[in-house]
Amino acid sequence: MTWDADIEEIKTRRALAKQQGGAESVERHHQKGRLTIRERISILLDPKSFDEIGEGAGVPDYDESNELINFQPANFVLGFGQINGRKVIVGGEDFTLKGGSPNPAGLRKSVYAEQLALQYKVPLIRLHEGGGGSVGGTSHEKNRRPLADPVFSTSRFHPLALTLGQVPVVAAALGPVAGLPASRLVASHFSVMTPNAAVLIAGPQVVKRALGRDLTKEQLGGPQVHLKSGAVDNLATNEQDAMHQIVKFLSYVPDNAWSRPNRIRTNDPVDRCEDILAKIVPSNRRQPFKMRRILEHVLDKTEGGSSFFEMSRKYGPSLITGLGRLNGHSVALIANDCMYYAGAMTAAAAQKLRRFVDFCNSFHLPILSFVDEPGFMIGPESEAAGTIRHGTAAIAAVLQSRVPWASVHVHKAFGVAAQAHFGPDGYVLCWPSAASGALPVEGGVAVAFAREIAMASDPEAKRRELEDILAASQSPFPRAEGFSVHEIIDPRETRPKLSAWLDIAVEAQIEPAAPFQATMRP
Amino acid sequence: MIIKSEIAGQIWKTVVRVGQELAIDDTIVIIESMKMEIPVASPIAGIVTELHVKEGELVMEDQEIATLEVLRASE
Repeated sequence: MTWDADIEEIKTRRALAKQQGGAESVERHHQKGRLTIRERISILLDPKSFDEIGEGAGVPDYDESNELINFQPANFVLGFGQINGRKVIVGGEDFTLKGGSPNPAGLRKSVYAEQLALQYKVPLIRLHEGGGGSVGGTSHEKNRRPLADPVFSTSRFHPLALTLGQVPVVAAALGPVAGLPASRLVASHFSVMTPNAAVLIAGPQVVKRALGRDLTKEQLGGPQVHLKSGAVDNLATNEQDAMHQIVKFLSYVPDNAWSRPNRIRTNDPVDRCEDILAKIVPSNRRQPFKMRRILEHVLDKTEGGSSFFEMSRKYGPSLITGLGRLNGHSVALIANDCMYYAGAMTAAAAQKLRRFVDFCNSFHLPILSFVDEPGFMIGPESEAAGTIRHGTAAIAAVLQSRVPWASVHVHKAFGVAAQAHFGPDGYVLCWPSAASGALPVEGGVAVAFAREIAMASDPEAKRRELEDILAASQSPFPRAEGFSVHEIIDPRETRPKLSAWLDIAVEAQIEPAAPFQATMRP
Repeated sequence: MIIKSEIAGQIWKTVVRVGQELAIDDTIVIIESMKMEIPVASPIAGIVTELHVKEGELVMEDQEIATLEVLRASE
């Protein structure tokens, strides 16, 4: 006797598994302008590097003579693969089978993706498109009550909770993503969604039943909602762009929390000094400027343009966060964007900062902070949003930070919020356009000199006179004289100065890299 | 295309008038917010068909500022 028949059945099962939800279902999926999970994986990974796990998991269907006639695979595809030669775990729901709502084997494989990433300490990528659980459970016998896991089993959320501290987790929403997959999507360091994706706790029918409101899934959780809510970091123009962003993000981070980021040198000279930096900040305090242009001129340029990779642009937009390279080193960037509320720290910007600083510490990314902070956002909406608590939590996160930190004081640094831009033992450079103090001149003068202004023969002229006198006192030169900053510099020197510091700071990290843990914050 | 304000503030200056042709990045209005003058720029080449705000008016986030008609490349 040989095993030929069984070996043949393995081949048959594999072939059936690759048919996913069947030709008709795959065609319907393509007509919606979306790729299947297997097509997505093949775009993302290096050619022929996908090493599938659990291809044989699923439900067989036999005829009366016990011959296999069909095989419904688990609707979560999972495996190892490589991206630019680096090992990763990749997985995602198969929407062509039950709309990605987990079947029993699919659910097990989805949980196992996180366990694999933890076990082998490699980045985890989840490509989501699918629903959550069903009221009938995952059993095929719908008249049976769903069986829960035994009381002694480990929660399926346990590995989900652990991954963020141990391996880079990247996720994409590439269609409707609801319930558990939505929860998995946001349990990531970087997430991206396509224009036709929607991320939902519960879909339109559930919302209609519970709240009586008629809303489409796009209205509930489309990109216009979740890029601003902060649930998802970036928008991709299409699925190919989503994969491109995932690959780019991973290029800046190490494989796990026990490793440090790779240095990838570019041809960009370290001593490149851009004249534009000397005039980019207007002398008129009321005029805004484009902070991203500063970042792009300072960071390494690559063949594809700037090495700056921005994350979460629409969420808390008064703060810019992203990754880049300087002298080949992988760095994290924090900067204020004065085009939004003068760069003030809103509740959203504070939460964005805290999360980003924790991410940088988890993967040992040196932080470069470009400071133009007028203070916490003020006004009734800001008070109602609890900005003071979120802002103070962000400051605590910054001061618990253990990565090399450099701050370039570009323009404003006022009030308590300014502290969120200066990490422990940081290297501090100052531009001539820098100004600092307890609060910006305009607000400070209105409060401290209210009576003097009111009693003047020309109150408006008096106010301007006082503002000009006090603005001069906020000059950076006295701070440099008092060695309150390491150096006041010509803005054109920013790139060479930061590069030289970074070489020293990165080399000084002699202790082994390890997972980051922080205490409670406000 | 409807242009909305991304910030709350006061319309400090309306830079364009109805019927005016705009290039990408041309300023439509300037909003004073947190003591700075923040321009609202056109994301497209187009013609202003409606201005929804006046100078001195307070605006909230997502409030409509102007309506633009997209200018085709051949025009």
